[in-house]
Amino acid sequence: MSSNTLALGGTGNLDEHHRQSRQAQWQADKWMMSGALLLGTAVFGIFGLPLFLRGLWLQIRAERSGLTMRPVIVTLIGYLVAVDAALNTIGWALDLVAHHTLLARVFLMAWGNMFDAGYFWHYNELWIGGATAPGEKSWEIALLPIVFSMRIAAAIGFLQMKRWGHQWLIVTCWFGVVAWAGYIANMTLYADVRYTGVVFPVIGWWLYDIFYITPFLALPYLHSVNREIFSD
Amino acid sequence: MNESQSDELPLGTTPAFANMHKWLRRGLIVCLCALVLEGAFTFPLLAVWYGWPTLSLQEICTEFERIRFSDESRECIYPYPLFGPAEGAGQTTARDEWGVQPRPQYQAIEYRELVRRVEARRARENQ
Repeated sequence: MSSNTLALGGTGNLDEHHRQSRQAQWQADKWMMSGALLLGTAVFGIFGLPLFLRGLWLQIRAERSGLTMRPVIVTLIGYLVAVDAALNTIGWALDLVAHHTLLARVFLMAWGNMFDAGYFWHYNELWIGGATAPGEKSWEIALLPIVFSMRIAAAIGFLQMKRWGHQWLIVTCWFGVVAWAGYIANMTLYADVRYTGVVFPVIGWWLYDIFYITPFLALPYLHSVNREIFSD
Repeated sequence: MNESQSDELPLGTTPAFANMHKWLRRGLIVCLCALVLEGAFTFPLLAVWYGWPTLSLQEICTEFERIRFSDESRECIYPYPLFGPAEGAGQTTARDEWGVQPRPQYQAIEYRELVRRVEARRARENQ
């Protein structure tokens, strides 16, 4: 704790300090959870950000007042990897199971035509529907349950400062490295399909997607933090 | 790093990694804000680029389908039958240079181009 300087005269004070800290953390988390739920929907993210930032501010204020709070960087990583996974899940779940909705056929097509024609070229032609670019469907089927769902579960454990949360966040963030490397290699091999007739090809895709590197930013922290702070 | 500085480090951060953790925190905040802005503005900006509100979403869907499959007779069926075949299954009109690396032959859609396509078609039909 950066400012854990309360004068603790006895176990009663310690218990009270612990109770107040838990209460303050829960209060902050309620704001941040509400914000993160909205952030994960993409379209309502703009309404979620103020809620999230208020929760973050409450946490920092409580820490400055001397309460024992979760480190800010743990909070940021936990919520952000969950939001990152949720955003990926929305787009891919839409493509996997809701490819014939008007929403998918307008906005996935539009996104595809603008940045990545994997979501435009021969769309809804496979019997399974949705994206037809070579390999794309396989990534969706593999990564939705194995990476993104597990990463959200790991992030929840991580925010609870559980050791399994820390361990599984490392595992799922490294999954993310594999996913990015494989996905980009696949896109490059089939670049004609993905980028021909696209409004903002390649550089546009990178500018749009680079902010999904959150799990990579998490990894150096996860490997360098003193893991004794995470409990069984 | 002296003891007082060490005391001010966040829980779990050792002096050796304090600087790295500080920069990671900044990077995380940048990613958070960028993801929020992208999430919030992508849908409306895409909608405007491709012709909304002049065109309805279903009209945009129809134009996409016509360009994708190079077939001006196609219509975007909505709502689509729940257990129907994929809308493009068996189509034979889409144009590509086929080979081990297929290359589509449609062109990128410019800003509000779908509106101009629809208006030009209506003008032809009214002549």
